[in-house]
Amino acid sequence: MIRFKSIISRIVILHVIALVITSIVMSFALSWLLSSATDNIHNEAMEEQAASVAHHLVLKADGSAALELPPELQGLYSHPYGRYTYAVLDEHGRALISSLADGSAVFPLDPKSTDVEFLRTQRGNAVISGASIRKRLGERTFWVQAGEDLANRDVLIDDIVADFFKNVGWITLPILFALLAIDIAIFRRALRPLREASEIARHIGPMRTDVRLPLEELPSEVRPLVFAVNQALDRLDEGFRVQREFTADAAHELRTPLSILRTRVDTLDDQSIANALKQDIESMSRMMGQLLDIAELDVFMVDPDDKADLSEVCTDVAQMIAPLALEQDKDVVLLGAHKPVWVKGNAEMLSRAIRNLAENAIKHTPRGTVVEFTVEENGIVKVSDRGPGILREERELIFRRFWRRDRTRPGSTGLGLSIVQRIMELHHATITVENQPTGGAQFSLYFARLETG
Amino acid sequence: MRLLVVEDNEELAKLLAKGLQAAGYDTDVFGTVAEARTALLMVDYAAMILDLGLPDGDGLAVLRELRHRKDPVPVLVLTARGGLQDRISGLRSGADDYLVKPFAFEELLARLEAQLRRPGQILGNSLRVANLEFDSRSRQATINDEPQVLSARETAVLELLMHSKGRVVSKKQVEDHIFGLSGDVASNAVEVYVHRLRKQLSEKGARVQIHTIRGVGYLIAEEKS
Repeated sequence: MIRFKSIISRIVILHVIALVITSIVMSFALSWLLSSATDNIHNEAMEEQAASVAHHLVLKADGSAALELPPELQGLYSHPYGRYTYAVLDEHGRALISSLADGSAVFPLDPKSTDVEFLRTQRGNAVISGASIRKRLGERTFWVQAGEDLANRDVLIDDIVADFFKNVGWITLPILFALLAIDIAIFRRALRPLREASEIARHIGPMRTDVRLPLEELPSEVRPLVFAVNQALDRLDEGFRVQREFTADAAHELRTPLSILRTRVDTLDDQSIANALKQDIESMSRMMGQLLDIAELDVFMVDPDDKADLSEVCTDVAQMIAPLALEQDKDVVLLGAHKPVWVKGNAEMLSRAIRNLAENAIKHTPRGTVVEFTVEENGIVKVSDRGPGILREERELIFRRFWRRDRTRPGSTGLGLSIVQRIMELHHATITVENQPTGGAQFSLYFARLETG
Repeated sequence: MRLLVVEDNEELAKLLAKGLQAAGYDTDVFGTVAEARTALLMVDYAAMILDLGLPDGDGLAVLRELRHRKDPVPVLVLTARGGLQDRISGLRSGADDYLVKPFAFEELLARLEAQLRRPGQILGNSLRVANLEFDSRSRQATINDEPQVLSARETAVLELLMHSKGRVVSKKQVEDHIFGLSGDVASNAVEVYVHRLRKQLSEKGARVQIHTIRGVGYLIAEEKS
């Protein structure tokens, strides 16, 4: 069993087979019809000939039969011509008169024969076919037979039959090709909406579960399939939504119990234990906040009209995190943020991205060193630290959710950089990371610069 | 000084009340929108700590009513909703500050104090960092309770820094505060005054440090030992 990958090739092959079979069967049927028609004509002609011979049969006074053929008929049955023969038989099957040289009957007589009989016999190498009719004269019954040697049959009719394939057969070939071409055209046209639907389906992913395939233009045969696919997408969409909402709900529901824990610890009398617990709660709260950020980012869309001033965003972030840095004996420097640098994007989201980078940098830069923010006029923000830098083989890994080089290190969630990358993706902006010659990592964010505010 | 705490989680409400009492505030604790409405009409509170997700409605509704009748009582919103839109709608509804759960209790106290020390609010005018004190009404700085003599510009810088203790004040803010709209200001003027103030304070024995965050601004904090 051949398996066809494409509907078009399947249709073409099946159509070729069907056309070949049809043209063969049709030719045979036509030639059979033609030959049976010529046989009928022959039989009728022979019956007529027998009748015309019988017309000239007369009964003499002595009761014997005599044939008085006019000369033109005698010529037809003459020996040199040899094509037609006749004979007159009595009721016992004896040949009374015959055009044959030996005076025998053309066909042996069958006593049960009816008024008109079509017969066929072999005489030497020749096949004789003809008719036998009953003729009554007075009290007596005679059989008048007329036969034709088929080897000498009418050439015209035989030519038509023989030339049938040659003359008619060739027409089927172009018709076949024309039908195939029309088939292919029809199918291509019919399948075009399906190709368009496939193009739309290519864009469906975990972040784009709202896309549905259009049903309007599709052929009704594939519509149930596409409809079912759309329903499957609905269920998938629902699944994703539940999952997203679960992350958000879970993080949200944890906030109040964590607040209770935090407040209880804050109001403890023994502050030595409290300080350690506070740090634990701090990192747990941080992770929860990041989970909520991720849940929010999964459904967030950047308004195409949104714009943000990178100088302002960076100043804001630096102002926000400077106290945190100072607490750890680390410093923050902001360079280049003297005048506005407008880019396409949501200021709050950009601020979160830069804040996550900054927190990351502060964590990794050693005490007494500086985390440097640089805003460049062409829409680039750089955040660099004096930490150990990032290994070449880890430059892709660091953006993965929950990836951490050292899982035992406290206070690291492995979420910060994945949030940064997600925000950048949403803004069609890019992020790169490299190690500086002076040591430490430098993250660069490239945004689409706007000419004016 | 009486505070209104609207928080439906009893455990958290109890802890807040306990902590606030320890910090010297009297508190009334309620858990519903209806109770909060009644309490606000009957008592003149110094400030309100408001949770948003309440069993009988949204805390923001109470806040909007309050602002609608031009009640200026400082409101610190306390909420589990930390999304961008939530924060924007919270501040637009008239919240003075916004703390997302879970929060550090000291931060709640600090933010509350900042609200209460705003001009016209109920807490005293005395701002303090370590042994340095600044009276925002008389604009007098004291170190170890000894009054100090500072120039008008130095005083202005100190005033701004003390009002924003723990936070970074941008250079622009300092410029605006000292010079107002008076126009031409030398680009290094702020640096000069901050430098002088820093020198003065350290000579007089103040255990504070004025940090310069390059490209960002200044921050006053207790000196690290």
